[in-house]
Formats: sequence, structure tokens, C-alpha cells
Amino acid sequence: METVRIFICISLFSLIQLFVHSQTPIPNNGVKESEPSALVLRNATIIVSPEKTINNASIAIKDGKITAVGKLIRFPEGAVIVDMDGKTIVPSFIESYTNVGLPNVKRKEWSPRPQIESSKDGAFYWNEAIHPEVDAARHFKVDPKASKKLQEMGFNIAVTHINDGIARGNGAIVALGEVPEEKAIIKTKGAAFFSLQKGVSRQTYPSSQMGAIALLRQAIYDAQYYAVNKKELQENLSLNALSEQLNHPIIFVVEDKLEVLRANKIAQEFDLDFVIIGAGNEFEQINDFKEWEQPLVLPIDFPEAYDVGDPYISQQIPLSDLKEWELAPSNPYVLQSNKVDIALTSKGHQDAKTFWKHFHNALERGLSREDAIAALTTTPAKIFGISEQAGTLEKGKIASFSVFDADPFVMKNTTLLESWSMGVKHHTKEVADIDIRGKYRFSLPETSYIIDIKGSAEKPTGTAMSFFKSVDPETKLSTIDTLKSKVNITVDYRDAVFYFDVKDNYNEGVVTLHGNYSQKINAFLGQGQLPDGEWVKWSGIQLSSLENDKDEISKNTISVDTSEVGDIWFPNMAYGFDTIPEEEIYVLRNATLWTNEKEGIIEKGTIILKDGKIDFIGTGNFSIPSRAIEIDCSGMHVTSGIIDEHSHIAISKGVNESGQAVSAEVSIADVVRNDDINIYRQLAGGVTVSHLLHGSANPIGGQSAIIKLKWGYSPQEMLVKDMPKFIKFALGENVKQSNWGDYQTIRFPQTRMGVEQVFYDAFLRAETYKKKWKKYNELSPRQKEKGNISAPAIDLELESIWEVKNSERFISCHSYVQSEINMLMNVADSMGFTVNTFTHILEGYKVADKMAKHGAGGSTFSDWWAYKYEVKDAIPFNANIMQEQGVLVAINSDDAEMGRRLNQEAAKSIKYGGMSEEDAWKMITLNPAKMLHLDDRMGSLKEGKDADVVIWTDNPLSINAQVSKTFIDGELLYDAWKSVDEYYRIQEEKARIISKMLTSNKKGEPKKTFVKKKERHWHCDTIGESKH
Amino acid sequence: MNTQKLIISFFLFVCFGFSGTAQKTILFSKATVHIGNGKVINQGLVGVKGDEIILVENALTHNIDKAVWDTIIDLKGLDIYPGFIAPNSKLGLTEIDAVRATRDFKEVGTFNPHVRSLIAYNAESDVIGTVKTNGVFYTQATPEGGVISGSSSIMSLNAWNWEDAVLKTDDGIHLNWPNPISGGGWSGKSKSLNENYSTKLKEIRSFFEAAHAYSKSTDIFDQRFEAMRELFTGEKRLYIHGNQMRAILDIIDFQRELNINYPVIVGGYDAHKVTSELVTANVPVIIKGGHTLPSNEDDPIDLPYRLPYLLNEAGVLFCIQNSGRMETMNTRNLPFLAGTAMAYGLNQGEALSAITLNTAKILGIGEIVGSIEVGKKATLFVNNGNALDMRTNNIITGMINGEFIDLTNIQTDLYDKYQEKYKKDQQN
Repeated sequence: METVRIFICISLFSLIQLFVHSQTPIPNNGVKESEPSALVLRNATIIVSPEKTINNASIAIKDGKITAVGKLIRFPEGAVIVDMDGKTIVPSFIESYTNVGLPNVKRKEWSPRPQIESSKDGAFYWNEAIHPEVDAARHFKVDPKASKKLQEMGFNIAVTHINDGIARGNGAIVALGEVPEEKAIIKTKGAAFFSLQKGVSRQTYPSSQMGAIALLRQAIYDAQYYAVNKKELQENLSLNALSEQLNHPIIFVVEDKLEVLRANKIAQEFDLDFVIIGAGNEFEQINDFKEWEQPLVLPIDFPEAYDVGDPYISQQIPLSDLKEWELAPSNPYVLQSNKVDIALTSKGHQDAKTFWKHFHNALERGLSREDAIAALTTTPAKIFGISEQAGTLEKGKIASFSVFDADPFVMKNTTLLESWSMGVKHHTKEVADIDIRGKYRFSLPETSYIIDIKGSAEKPTGTAMSFFKSVDPETKLSTIDTLKSKVNITVDYRDAVFYFDVKDNYNEGVVTLHGNYSQKINAFLGQGQLPDGEWVKWSGIQLSSLENDKDEISKNTISVDTSEVGDIWFPNMAYGFDTIPEEEIYVLRNATLWTNEKEGIIEKGTIILKDGKIDFIGTGNFSIPSRAIEIDCSGMHVTSGIIDEHSHIAISKGVNESGQAVSAEVSIADVVRNDDINIYRQLAGGVTVSHLLHGSANPIGGQSAIIKLKWGYSPQEMLVKDMPKFIKFALGENVKQSNWGDYQTIRFPQTRMGVEQVFYDAFLRAETYKKKWKKYNELSPRQKEKGNISAPAIDLELESIWEVKNSERFISCHSYVQSEINMLMNVADSMGFTVNTFTHILEGYKVADKMAKHGAGGSTFSDWWAYKYEVKDAIPFNANIMQEQGVLVAINSDDAEMGRRLNQEAAKSIKYGGMSEEDAWKMITLNPAKMLHLDDRMGSLKEGKDADVVIWTDNPLSINAQVSKTFIDGELLYDAWKSVDEYYRIQEEKARIISKMLTSNKKGEPKKTFVKKKERHWHCDTIGESKH
Repeated sequence: MNTQKLIISFFLFVCFGFSGTAQKTILFSKATVHIGNGKVINQGLVGVKGDEIILVENALTHNIDKAVWDTIIDLKGLDIYPGFIAPNSKLGLTEIDAVRATRDFKEVGTFNPHVRSLIAYNAESDVIGTVKTNGVFYTQATPEGGVISGSSSIMSLNAWNWEDAVLKTDDGIHLNWPNPISGGGWSGKSKSLNENYSTKLKEIRSFFEAAHAYSKSTDIFDQRFEAMRELFTGEKRLYIHGNQMRAILDIIDFQRELNINYPVIVGGYDAHKVTSELVTANVPVIIKGGHTLPSNEDDPIDLPYRLPYLLNEAGVLFCIQNSGRMETMNTRNLPFLAGTAMAYGLNQGEALSAITLNTAKILGIGEIVGSIEVGKKATLFVNNGNALDMRTNNIITGMINGEFIDLTNIQTDLYDKYQEKYKKDQQN
């Protein structure tokens, strides 16, 4: 028994070996060709790995693999030996982002009618943007033409995927070039690809970036649930694939630096490792990358210069675009120097020339040779788990590499001579076998000509000189006439053919010559015909070779010089900071203080801001801390910062997730944008806090973000700490799509009647959902195990709605007409919660008593009306009446413009209805703070509250009031005096960069006509997503 | 306050009570009179007969002959302002923005000089009632759309119908200059170079050349060119809407080469960059008021607020309009646009002129309205405080063309109605 078992083991082992080492047999048509014998490339400079380069080295290849590399290697028997003559061999780069060899996905034709459900047949996910089941390997076809582009850039290995949708499916790792189909795929499931772009799907959901984020999160929860409960559930191909992918490398493709952070947030939520393919502007957010642990793949398709020849046009180019143009090539270096493990991708490049130019630009900005090599070879190999096969030129690895005429990490303008993929040589560059350039004397039997050959080795050009000597019969003086003529040259393998005009004492006409060139002695030998048809022998001796231009060499050597490059501003645009203002201690003296507390308005008071808080306020005794900055506020008014209860600034790619009637799962907090100029503009209007609401396109919108307008900070840092949870609800014309055109008549609800039912349905679903969870949570771990009971599915939408019902999440409801206001209060009463805020609430005055009784606040416009039918009864006395009836009232903006003069809007309540100044002021400070459940920290001048403080030049409700300074958390973020200097600083910076661009324009470098980035301003009813 | 209101109501009653066939005379006495031309009379006398101002004097130096006046209203401590004028407005041409049936300001077609706004002017518009009560008494009803939108007319806000509302019929033609850089803002499109700019310019030029040639002939008739005739021969204004620097410079060349008698630029965002050209060419500008965002993120953040000051310093004749989002109902905020300009550099007189006399001059009605001066229309209002500040824009009484206006509107009615409701609820 024992021996038999051992025997079987051994034979099994050898069988496995057999399978590992040989290809499965493929029927052969005709006589079988012999396996290629071994090959040795010798006398080359071989870049083995980022750290190791060997000169005068050889590399041996067999069966598509490297068998040996080094200075002294044994050449395999029968190997073909090729002399590389000092050329440089570089390991194949590995491309992370391409769809080479895969079909382009086409978009279905647009229809004005919305497509709410998936149009895809089969057991797939309900949303067409989630298709993790797509396997690139199943669609892959060897495409030599598309491969060639990448090979010319140095990539012989690529991870290719169908670049569409949010969950895109598996990418395949493939060998590029004309490799046999069956050998082309190195790894079928290279990595799963994800993005935040919906792609070709015409399904209405998601219509925004926050929707895309929520959809992906929900899909991951679904996949996790599916994995656990597979036996009980119906087969779903999408979830099956997705659940499997979660255990493997995940590649996430984004379009902006902030999306890198957004993707990372998802990774953290699920404890997944995402390798993110970035956008190229990560440097602008460098502080967020200082602790980055995962590798980051960076594109280097740096922006082209604008055509700035016309000053009328160039003045319109925003500084943000100019600065991005100037600094983008520094992106790889900036990240690398902050210890981020970077890889590079050719994403965005159509041709190799531009790729190399950009690559060298990155090196010139400081990216080291070693890091650059690693970024293209070992790092991507590590990311995709193919370090065993690729990344370096070491024994046992795939014989995929590129051959250059010089080291492309040291020299610019190097030429890629050969690409090798899986041991197969691809000529990507036709190189002349001989380089005949130089100056020669062509000797013919009786005469000789001087031939000067220039141009390129492949297409040489030349001039010939022949000499006609004449003697004046009288003076006996001789003169020599020189004829210069063009020489037509053709190089054909190792021969060259010349023909040219001559005029001398022996020949006149065209001479044609054919000669063989010896590279050893740089000489021609051959035969030719004279103008008269006589055949002659000729020889050509080189007089001087084409001299290597030293300037040319130094010009082509990469050197790092960043002295002319500007600094990154925070944010990297107009009015950005060089560095974030530091926290100081400020003592504001002699001010008129609008406390919003029982002290009312204090004349000649002092307020001290320290450690981000209000440290002292009043007229009593205080000691001035050391290092404090004193500001004399005589004649000035000081207030707490304005809180805008309804704002849509600082949001990326869509304020509405309008794809569904209920979208409680989406959150504005996921898409806060820190480079919106309106943040700065509103700081200048005294706003310190904004409640960023989802739009009003659907009855149950999305979750809100409450931000401090911390200009220069990251989106995460802008979010108010321990932000109370809010959600947007909406009623009326927007949610029933009244003003969206005649085709938008499909989505439920289309009437106010339907709106009510949407709410009841949502709350009842949430209740059922929570019951399930409650039941599960009540089980002991033992009961769970015994009964084999797993947790119910997580539903992000219902989680959020449940929080509303359970009074953990507050509603801010877009509302106009009294009927619907009463309806929602009835719904809330019957469900046992309170509607926190009615926003807009233009007919609030009609039901103010009911609102007060219910406990709802009203956040309204001062005087907007008549812009649609449901606001025809709006009156500017609304705020006053609601206040008189005991409703907590705020005035909001819902508008980037109005947001910067909310003080004026509040003042209108003094005109319309005679509100007191202090009450009017509270409507944009303390009252919204109360509505947002932040009044313990903000909304008034009180010791211990956040130092969100504004200095005004006048009574803040006066038309004459201007903001002098705005502090947030005790930091001076807006200073009117500085803002003027800022403007000149911006102009100087623009002029500096434009002059650089002009130089680039003059050099004839690629340029584009001006197209400005989109800068949309969102309102409640803005639909769809837009690039910012 | 309340007593004051009562007293005035009483006087109004008296005035109306006596309004018979004979033209009554009214003297507004001892108020601070803001003339509209920058001057202020601290204790002024303003006398009105019929629809005309017949006396403007300083009470300290002028002896009142009480017998001359049917009514004398003592307004000590109050202010009198000339009625404000809203240029480039859709007030009366639309009621509710989102309801297509109420939008009457944009006709189909590219060159529509013959289209006239005045006949679409709804004198009974609910919006008008709410604008009037803030001191805006005239509007330039202006069509939009196409390259030439049509003809505007200047209308009174106190009228039964468009025929008695009109102050000046077909005061000018509105030409929309193409943008050298198009897109941006609300368009949802990226800002980019307008490749068709010069083509559009050529189209405009050839249309105007044809109109100019037509204006010299009498034997043919063309409806469109007929509407254009007075641009070359009379006082009709050509309002050219443009904002960008290149557009403004091209407009200046255009009006000179085509011999436009009275060109006016509407918009003028970049006007501060080309002030000397504007002054030299004597082209006035109707600028967008400050309640708008800077067009470019690099611009000074207070540029829209400060633009009036910049133009004023440079000597450019300008006035303020409020076109843009929700412009119709926002017409009532015109005084606060001037107020904001005051906060950012203009003095009060200059700010007031930007919505009164300068507006009138630019629109070609400076001889009849725009200021409180003898011989002009009796269009003025009494206010308690600075009417350019929203806290103190409180009209106590006002008259348009000599007729006292109703100070209630749909919104005050609703206000009263619901005040009443809550009062009753409380009593029950």
C-alpha cells in the first residue's frame, strides 16, 4: 500500500509538472514548425529593474521567457546571437488603463422618454451601470494595430477592460502585439474595474455622482449579502461576480482629485483595498495624500496649452486652468515625494510621441529615474499580482521588453527600435541598416566629387560638388566654377543608390551610382553610369562623419529645473492661499457686538477668539493673551457668522438624484467640492456655515451636508464635526415634474395626490425593514448560529428613511403650497415624528399656526415669488407672519448670488411687516443654527461657541454694510483689505503663466482654443450632472 | 408712523374728493427733496398741478402763497424721491415665468425690429402692483430673443391699459450683440471661443446697411426696415446688448460706422475696461445691477457691486437695470441695486441718478421725467427714510403722472387677509 501511494504521488507530481510546462495541444494545419530556438541579445545596456542597470550585458530568451540576464552568461546551445551594439533594453511597461483588443461600447439612442428600469434581459443587477459579470478575457481579440500604439510607448503588457459603467467587470492582463491568440492572455481575471461614471446606460438612475456612489455602495452590500445567502437566493450573475471580485484587487477609475478621495471613502467603508487610477490633478489636494497607503496610478496626459495669442481671449482663461496647465507635469513628482507609491498610465494618449514628451516632462519636474521606471514596471506588476511574471528583466519572467537607442529615462528624443512581446520581436521602428551620413569624396576613374550627406539615416539627403576648371587663353589664368547640386539618395539594406547633376571637365549631366557600404571602414564601393552611358567603377571615402553635436546631447539630456514653476495654491485657483492661515488669537475691541443672546447689542465691547472658540465677550475686564492680534473695531459691527439654511454651492456633479422618486440613500456629503469660488465669495458676504441640500427633483431626496466655508481646506475638513443628520424632502411642481417638458410624465408621482402616497409607502417599507432587523438583532449569537440565521440585507435607502421616522434624521422639506404642507405634517404626525424644517415655505403664512403647533421651522426667501404657478400666493410678509405665530423662521438663499448678501435679504423683513432688527438678524444666524441643531455651538456670540465671527463696516442690516473680515473657527479666512492685494496677485500670476504659454505657442507646441471648465451653479431644480 | 399715515390718507381723500374737471394744485411741503440729479433740498417745496411739477423750491427761502394751493401736505422729516425707472425689463410682459402661457416677450425669428412690446404690456399685472409699491414707477417694456428682438416702449406702472400706460412709444430697437466667448453662466455649456462671432457680425452689419439704405428712400415699404428708419433719421435708440470687452469695442466701431444717432449699450460687464473709448464715443451704458455674480472666477469678487462707481469715476453715463434670473418680480428690488452701488462707492445722489435721471436721459425721456424739476411729470413718492435701503424703503404716498397710486397690491391684500384670520382665531 505504502509504496503504491508514494508512486501515485510521484506520478501525480510529474503529471502536474507536465501540465505546467507545456501548452495544451492545438491541431496543426500542415507540417509542424519547429519551436523557436533560443536567442541571445548581447552587448546591450539592460535595465533589469528600477534599481539595477547592467552595461555590456546579454539577455537570453527561450519559449517566450527570459532564461538568463547578465554580463557573463552562458549562451544556450544553438542560440541565435544578436549584437545590440550599446542599445538599451527596458523591461516592458505595464498599462493599467486601456481597452485594447476589446469592443467599444455603444450608447443606445437617446429617447426623450425616461427609462426608469433596466432594459437588459437576464439574471443581472437591476441597474445597467452595474455589470461586474463582464469579463474582458471573453471579448478579447489580438489587435496588432491598437497594440502598436501602446508598444510604441513601451507597453508590451496591458490590463485591458471594457471601460464602461460603474461596476465594469474584470480586466484581463494581456500581451500586446502579434502574439498568437492562445498565448496573448497572461491572466484572465486581472482585476475588477470600477468607476463613478454611469457610462452608456440610459437608465435614469443614477443621474448624479452622489447617486453613483450610493448605487455602488448598495451593490457591494447586496453582493456581500448574496455571498452569505447564496443557497437561498436566486442566481444573480452580477452579484455572483461582484461578491467574488471583492476578494481580489480592485481598480477604481476616477476623473478628478476629489473623486480619488471619494473612492477611497468607499474602500474604507467596506475595508477594501482600491488601487485608484487618478485624474492627474491630485497635487492640488496633496495634503490628503500624505498618509496614502495604497499605490496610486497616475495619468500623464498633461493639459495642452491654450492659444493665448489674443489678449481679449487669454484674459478670460481662469487662473485655475492656467495653474493646472503649469503644475500638472509635477503631479507624479509631488506625490512620489510625499511617499505615495505611484504607477503611471498612458491613459489619454493617442500617440507615443506625446506620451514620451509628457513622460520626460514629469522627469524634468523631479521624478527620479528609479521611481519612474518602477512606476511603469514593478509597481503595476505588484498592483496586478504579476510580479512573478513581469516588471523586471529577470530569469524566468516573460520576455517582454523594449529596445531603445539610448536610455529613455536619461535622454529625450530616444528612438524605440524594437518591441519584444512574449519573446517575439516586433519592429516598431524601421531603422536603416546603415548610417551613411557624413562628408565623402566619390572617386570615379578620371574625376571626383565631394558629397555631403545629411538628413536622417533612413532618409538621407545630400549635396554634390563638381568643379569645372577653365583657363583664359589670353591671361592663362585659370578659374574654377563649382556646381552644387542635389543628390538623390536611396538606402536599400546595405547598399546605397545616388544620382546627381555634375558639370566638370569630364562629365556634364546626371551621374548614377550604386554602391555597397562598409560600416567598418565607412566607405562605398560600386559601379555606376556616366552621363554618356559609360559604365565605371567608383569608390567613396568618408572625409568626416556627421559630428555629434554636443549641444544636441545636452539639450536632450533630462535635467531637473523647477525654478520657473509656480507654487500650488490652496485651492489652486484665484484667491487660493499659499498656506492655510494659521490659528491666531484675535482680540476685537471697541466693537458693536450683536450677541443674539439676552445681552442684545453691546456697544464698545470686546470679543476674544482663541483656540477656535469665543474666549471672551463683553465690556468687562479681560486680559489680552500674549501673541494676540488686536483689531480696533471702532465704528464696526461684529456678529456671529451667517448660516445659510439652504444652499447648493460647493457641490460636484449634480445636486439632484432625479433618477428615482425616492433617493434617501444618496448624500451631498459624498460630493462636497472645495474649489468652488462661491465659497470664497460667500465668505466675503459673511457666511460661515452652509447647509448643502439635495435638490427638489423627487419627494424624498438625499442626505445633506453641513459645511463650514473653510476656504483652502479639504471637503472632509469642511464638514461640520458631528454633523446633525438631515435629509431633503420636496413637494409640489418639481417632484411631480410639472415644468420638465411633455415627456417627463412617467415617473410616479405626477400629482400632489401621488406625493403623499410616496411618503407613506417609504415609511411603511422602512418600518417593515427595521422590524426584520430588530427581530434579527434580538437573537442571541447562539440562536443565530443554531438556526443558521444570517443578517437581513442592508438597504441604504430604508436605513436613511428609518432614521427620519425614528427622529434621528431631520427633514428639510422644499414646500410652497398650504395643502401639501399640511399633508406632510399629517404624514409625520401619523408616523410619530416632526418635520424639522419647511424650506421655501412661501405659503407658510397661511398655515403658520399649524406649523407652530407641529413644531416645524420655516426657512424662507425674503421676497421671491411669481417664478412658477405654485408661488403666485407668496408674499414678502411671510417671515413676519410665521414669526408672529411662533414659528422658528430663517431666511435662506438657495442661490450662489443671494448667498453673498443674506444680510440684505434679512433686512427686507424690517420693511415688509416691521420686524425688529435683532429678530431680523437672528433669521440668518441663530434661527438657522437652531434649525440645524447647531445652536449649542454656533449662531450667537457667546463664550465657548465656535469662533465663526464677522466684522462689518456698518450695521449689518444696512445697505451700506460690507464685510471687513470673516473668521471661521478662529481663523481669518477672508479679509477685505487682503482681497484687493489678492486681485493684483492673481493678475501677476496669470500674466506670468500666460507668458510661459506664449513661449510654448511660439515654439509650435500643441495648443487648443479656449474652452473653460464648466462652472454650473446649482439650484433646487437643476437636473443632471455636469463636470465642474 | 401710524398717525402720519392717517394724516396723509386724509389728505389723499381730500385730493381725490376734489378732483373734478379743474386741475387741482398740491404742494408737498418741507420734505427732504431728492431731485434725482444729485442735488438735495433739505426742506423743499414741490408743487404739482395736474400731471406736472410746477414748483420746486427751498422752503427756507421761498414764501408760500397758501392761496395758490388747493392742498398743502406737510411732510417734515420725510423724503421725496422721483419715481424710479426700470430699463430693459419684462415687467408687464410676463406674469409667471414657468407658465408658458404668460410669457409674451420673445418672438420667433432672428431680425424682428418690427415686433413691438407695448401691445403685450399687461397694465393689470399682479407683479406690477408689487413693484410700484417700492417706488418703481416706469418700466421700459423690452422684448428679448433673436438678434434683433424688437422695439421697446416706456410704460407707466399706473394705467388701465397699454394705451394710457405708454410714456414713449417704440423708444428703441434692441440688438443682441454676439458674444466673442460664448457659454458659461446659466447656459450649462462650457465657456468657449465663439467661432461664429465674425460671421454673425457680418450678418448684423449687412442687415443694418440695408436698413440704412432703406431709410433714405420713400418709394418702397418693408415692415422690418420701416421700424429701423428712425435709428438713422430720428431719436429712436439702438440698444445694443453686449458685455465682453471685445464686444463693447466692436459695438463702438459699429455705431460710428453705421451712423446710429443714439446708441446705448445694455449689459456692459466689461465696460470698466474701456471707459475712455465709451466716453470718447459718447455711448451710455445700462449696466446690470450689482446683485449678480462676477462672470469669471478670477474677477474681483465685488466687481458687480463696484462697477457703477468705476464707470462714474471715469465719466461714463450709465444707469442700472436688473435683467437676469427672476428679473420680472425682482424689478421691485431696483432701488436696492442702487443702494448697493451706494455702499460700494457712489454717493447717495449719484446712486439715485442711476435709477432716475440718468436712466431717463439714456432712454430719451430726460426732458419729461427722471427728476423733480419744474415742467416734468409729477411722478414722485414720499418715503420715510432712505428709499435705497431696504430697511427704510417705506412709501407713504406716491403719484405717477400726477395721479396718486394705490399702495395695496395682491401681497398686501393677502397679508391683511391672514392677519385678520389669525386675529380672529385668537379671539375665538
